[in-house]
Amino acid sequence: MTDALARPKHLPDFMAPPLNEVVIGVQFAAPQGYQQIRAGEVWSLFKQRYPQVQELPPLPPAFETFGLPHQHSPMLPQFSLRTGGTHDRFWFLRPDGDELIQFQQDRLMHNWRKVGDGSNGYPRYESMIGEFKNELTELQSYMNSLVPQALSINQCEISYINHIRFDREDDNGFSAWLRFLNFSKDSPDDFVMNFREVIKDSSARPMGRLYVEAALGYLPSGNEIIALSLTVKGAPLGTDIESALEFLSNGREVIVQRFAELTTDQAHKKWERVN
Amino acid sequence: MGACKLRTPLYEVISAGSGRVLKAGLQPAQRVSISDIAGQWQDAVKDRLELLIRLEEGWDGYSAFPVSFDNAMFAFRMLESICRSDTPAPQIVPGPSGDLQIEWHTHQGDIELWVRGPNNVHAWCKVSETQTEEEIDLTTDFSIVSQWVQEVVEPTIAVAAAA
Repeated sequence: MTDALARPKHLPDFMAPPLNEVVIGVQFAAPQGYQQIRAGEVWSLFKQRYPQVQELPPLPPAFETFGLPHQHSPMLPQFSLRTGGTHDRFWFLRPDGDELIQFQQDRLMHNWRKVGDGSNGYPRYESMIGEFKNELTELQSYMNSLVPQALSINQCEISYINHIRFDREDDNGFSAWLRFLNFSKDSPDDFVMNFREVIKDSSARPMGRLYVEAALGYLPSGNEIIALSLTVKGAPLGTDIESALEFLSNGREVIVQRFAELTTDQAHKKWERVN
Repeated sequence: MGACKLRTPLYEVISAGSGRVLKAGLQPAQRVSISDIAGQWQDAVKDRLELLIRLEEGWDGYSAFPVSFDNAMFAFRMLESICRSDTPAPQIVPGPSGDLQIEWHTHQGDIELWVRGPNNVHAWCKVSETQTEEEIDLTTDFSIVSQWVQEVVEPTIAVAAAA
C-alpha cells in the first residue's frame, strides 16, 4: 500500500494552492444490525472532536462501471418508491466548521474546507487521510459491536475543489489559468464544462474515473472565480479499509498530477509551485 | 471567502462537497441525457427495477427479500456499460436474497448476469451457433459482456429493422 503518511516526492507541490475544499470518502454495504435510531451512537464516536451536528438528505448510491464508452447517464435513475425507511445524512462538524464528517448508513466522508476569511490552512492530505483512517476504524469497530462484521467498502471518492481568483481586466483570459480553456478574443459571461477520464492500473485495466469540472462563479464580495474540481471515483481492489485507503491515495496522486497538467505555468508561479 | 455563488439559478452540488461550490448555467447533465435520445432499455429497466425494490418481504411465499436498492442502482449502472441506446431491454428476475438476474434469450444465444451485489456479478453466455459457453466473475469492467450482447442480442435489432 502507498504510505499514506509521507508525501510522495514526485508529486507537484504548491505553497499557496487555490484549494477551497477537499473531500475523501467511502461507500459501503449497509452494515447489519444498524438502523437510523443508532445515529446518535455513531455521533458519540466523534462528538468530542465534532460537537456540532446537521441533518441533510442522503446521497444516493454511486458506482463506477466500465465497458462501452459514451453510455453513461450523468445521474442514476431516481426511483420514486422504495421499501423500508431512508437514512438521513449527518454532518458532524468542528466548532469552527473547517472540518466535518459526513455519515449515512452506507457512507463515511471527511471534508476540509476554507471558512471565514479563508485564512485557515489546508492540513494536507497526509494528515486528513490519517484522521479518516482512524474514523473508519472507529466506525467499523462500532458496527462490529452490533453484529460481528467488517465494513464492506464498494466505492471510494476523493475530490479537490479549487477557487481560482482572477481579474477580467488584468488577466489574459481564462487560458492564463487553465490550459484547456481558450475562448479566443471574447470571454463568455458564464461557462460550465466537464470531462472525465478512465484511470487504468498497471495492467491497463480500468480502476476508476477522474471527473474534471470548471465553472465560472463569484464570491459574495463580487470577485469572479473559476471553480475547478477534480474528483476520482471507483471501487477499491478489496472491500477492506486498507484497500480503500490505497485507492484514495492513488486517486489523490492522479488529481494532483492532473491539476498540475491542466493549469498553466503562469498560474503555478502565482500559487508558488515548489516541485 | 468560501461560499461561491454563480450567475444562474440552475445549479447542482458538486460531488460530496459541503455544498457551497455550485455549478452554473445549463448543466451538462441536462444536455447529454441519454434518456432524451434513446429511452428504450433505460425506461423499461427503470420501471422493472422500481417494481422489484418494492416487492414485499416473503414475495416468493417463503422469506425472500425485495431486490436491494444498492443492487438495483448498481445493475442500472452496469447496463449502461453494456448496452447501446437501441439494445433491447433484458428480462430482470429477482432473487431471494435481494439479488437479481438479468437475462437476454435470443435465437443467437443466451446471456445471464447474476448481480449478487455491487461489484459482484457472475456472467454467463452461450452462443447457439457454436454451442460454446463462457462464464466469468466480474466486478466493474463489463467490456466482455458488451461483446456478448453485440454477438447475441444486437443481431435482433438488424432483423427487426429489416422486417
